[in-house]
Amino acid sequence: MEKRLALRGHGAHLWTRELAKRIRVKVQEGLEELGAGDVLVLDLDGVEVFDYSFANELFGKTLLSLSSEFPGRFVVVENLTDYTRENLSKALESLGLAIIVRRKSKLELLGKVHPSDVKTFGALASAKGPLSAADLSKKLDVNLTAMNERLTKLGGMGLARREKAASAAGREQYTYRVLG
Amino acid sequence: MIYCSEAMAKLDSNTFDAWLEGQQPFDAKAPKLDLTGYGFVTPAALVQLAALVYSLAGTKRRPSVELDEEGVLTYLSRAGFCSAISPVGDTRPALKVDFYGGYRGSNPMLLEVTRIESCGALPELLDKILWVLSHRLRYPKFDAYDIATVISEIAQNTFDHNGKTHGFIAMQVYRSSKTFLEIGIADYGEGLTETLRRNPKHRSIASDSEAIKVAIELGTSEHDDPTRGTGLYHLVETTYKHEGLVQIRSGRAKVRYRMDKKQGWFFAVPPMRGVQIALNLPSKN
Repeated sequence: MEKRLALRGHGAHLWTRELAKRIRVKVQEGLEELGAGDVLVLDLDGVEVFDYSFANELFGKTLLSLSSEFPGRFVVVENLTDYTRENLSKALESLGLAIIVRRKSKLELLGKVHPSDVKTFGALASAKGPLSAADLSKKLDVNLTAMNERLTKLGGMGLARREKAASAAGREQYTYRVLG
Repeated sequence: MIYCSEAMAKLDSNTFDAWLEGQQPFDAKAPKLDLTGYGFVTPAALVQLAALVYSLAGTKRRPSVELDEEGVLTYLSRAGFCSAISPVGDTRPALKVDFYGGYRGSNPMLLEVTRIESCGALPELLDKILWVLSHRLRYPKFDAYDIATVISEIAQNTFDHNGKTHGFIAMQVYRSSKTFLEIGIADYGEGLTETLRRNPKHRSIASDSEAIKVAIELGTSEHDDPTRGTGLYHLVETTYKHEGLVQIRSGRAKVRYRMDKKQGWFFAVPPMRGVQIALNLPSKN
């Protein structure tokens, strides 16, 4: 399930932490209606600028609480301009956070991300189904311990979802996916 | 036309402290702020002066700003200063009729001294600043957004960190040999040192100059919250990016960044409550 929250109704220029607080209430309500694997899209079509207080309050606080308060849900941003993209990236980098951006159905990460996280996220996003740490370890030629660390990190940042599954041999294992 | 006499002294963010040193208004029962001899007050000095008047005011204590020129009174009226201080202070001679009150907002090159008490008024003020940057200082759209973003951050600080006080903002575009913009933002709250000390991480801050140094680092805030503490850091970075000049004053210290070098010059100044910011930006012409 996917739910959209368009921000253009609040204007093209989104100033102040107070405005972000009001919008964050709606984001929280939206996330509460969703289940694990569901997606809340923050649609920035028509938004030209926001200040750092706005970005930190809305995107920062939402991401900081996502994995603990709404485990398994995803927050995706769409329709960033070059400017809002740069500002959001700066704001998230300063908080050590990253968010999923969707551009023409392609998913990418924006914010504070290590190249290895980008590769892991890309492999998950392009996969047709969920992958285990062992699958990804082989696919990206990374040892299993390192891959488990990467996946734990992505999960903790709300960028990948972990679910229980059974291996081909029937053993219990965890698999990971991005959106859905 | 804004009054400006070349022969008379100029009160700006640079000369304000020497002027304040000579005033000694803090212990007076009826504080007098002597502007005689001054013919020109820049926006940054106007908001500093407004913040000073409010910080001096109290029960049965009404500060006055002394003037010797009718033209200066007219100028202060047009700049919104007289109406801004009227709840707590006066000018002498007094303004008989606030003739210019009706002109408020009519000149896009001028943002009169305006109280900022909450977020409500900010979008309109920021849109006005955006318009001036784009249309009069030829800032490309994204550069104008950079500036409006940091102004928004600093303006929010004036009420976010001060429960019982508020801030002021003023702006003017000057056209001399080089066109430039000056924006002043000032409050009369507790200042950076006291505000930052509320956060246990910064309890050891020992002076106002140390407080300013710490405050311009990313993530420094009164609140122990990773999403706070971006305003002054981005103010300095953005001013540097756009080759402007910024002064941050709090308590007994101020720092000036002249952005041909990424270096701040610290000065000891006479004590004054609150935080006062002066930002000068050149035209992109």
